[in-house]
Amino acid sequence: MTIYLLVPLLAVVGLLQATVVSRVTIWGVFPDLPLLLVVSWGLLRGSRQGLLWGFVAGIIVDLFSGAPFGAATVSLMVVGFVAGLGENLVFRNLLLLLLTAFLATLVYDLLFLFMVQILASPLPGTVQTVEWSGSLVRVIGPSAVVNALLGLLILGVMRAMDRRFRRQDTGLAGL
Amino acid sequence: MRRERLRRLLPYLLIVAVVGGLIVQRTGLWEPIEGLLSRVTVPLQKGVSQVVDQVGSLSQTARDLSNLRQRNEELEAENARLLLEIVRLREIEVEAALQRDLLNFAQSHPSFDIQGAHIVGLVIGRDPSNLQRYVTLDVGRKAGVARNMPVVTNRGLVGRISEVGDSWSRVLLITDVSSSVNAITQSTRATGLVQGRPDGLTVMRNIPQADTISIGDTVFTSGLGGNFPRQILIGQITAVERNDYDLYQTAIVQPTVDFNHLEMVLVITDFEPIEE
Repeated sequence: MTIYLLVPLLAVVGLLQATVVSRVTIWGVFPDLPLLLVVSWGLLRGSRQGLLWGFVAGIIVDLFSGAPFGAATVSLMVVGFVAGLGENLVFRNLLLLLLTAFLATLVYDLLFLFMVQILASPLPGTVQTVEWSGSLVRVIGPSAVVNALLGLLILGVMRAMDRRFRRQDTGLAGL
Repeated sequence: MRRERLRRLLPYLLIVAVVGGLIVQRTGLWEPIEGLLSRVTVPLQKGVSQVVDQVGSLSQTARDLSNLRQRNEELEAENARLLLEIVRLREIEVEAALQRDLLNFAQSHPSFDIQGAHIVGLVIGRDPSNLQRYVTLDVGRKAGVARNMPVVTNRGLVGRISEVGDSWSRVLLITDVSSSVNAITQSTRATGLVQGRPDGLTVMRNIPQADTISIGDTVFTSGLGGNFPRQILIGQITAVERNDYDLYQTAIVQPTVDFNHLEMVLVITDFEPIEE
């Protein structure tokens, strides 16, 4: 897949995430499509690709988010890179796939909260606080379950895409 | 050869780009760049939101048709009851106006304050993360919106403007964990701080143990701290948490605004928050 396709694809996914997906809540949370795309591409193509996809997807998510710029970019890059370490291993086992999507959400959300805490410039009269335990139980946990279940579908789609593009990849996105 | 060199350098280039970006963000130079990028993203966001709204309202209309007949009968009965209620409330309004003049209130009701000094904004996007609670509006600096301005609906307080672009703005909702609003209960005048919780509810903290708070009591902005006008409805107390060994008690507050179906909001422009 060329960089000319990678950026529009992730931009469309980011746009859908901020307009459509964020309205569809299951157990009070909505799926995180950009995260699932980055993780699955990392698993399919390795750490360099995970890092690149994390970079592009992160910038797009940061543009649509009220969180300080860079919070999603750094978190997605780390998760994309780490996912890439399991290149071609995870796809052999369904349970392992579920577990990877679950753990990736945990790591991403915790990193994201950490970045928000260190980068945020709070409004007057407010203190930038992060409720670690509350967020973990009420948001990150349910979100990890939802992402793990949806992750199977996304991983399937990405695998098909990987087969389609593997032969013709040139340029930056084919590195 | 060149491709191989690029392959080796890619991780380092990306890390340098991110570190550079973070430095730019910390120095405040990011804002103009974000403004430029938003010229592309905001119209797209607005377009997709409008399409989704229209599709949603069409399917909703189809679902509602079956219930319309019964609902109509109920509404007619409700209408008759409300007409009587209006007559009664008009009497109370006249009495209240007289009392307000007599007591020489420094501030009148906020709904009077915002007449003619508000901007209607459409919600065109939500935060892509489950951990942040912001919405994006289609009005910005050009329409007179500025950072820290309070945002409300007819049902109560929504939040305040956290970021502004030329034709967009972002609202930090009161349900976000970093939001903090000075509040007071209607019947017992107990004061505290209403803060967001990760699950989207709000909680009123720092209520002195000596104050009485009860389930069902309504919570309003108190105006303390100067960040919000006073007497804007926030929500209703649904639970009280009290421990004898704590200095303060806590109340769970269900916001009156339905944040999941937020479509149109008012930005109050004639209120000047105190900058810290």
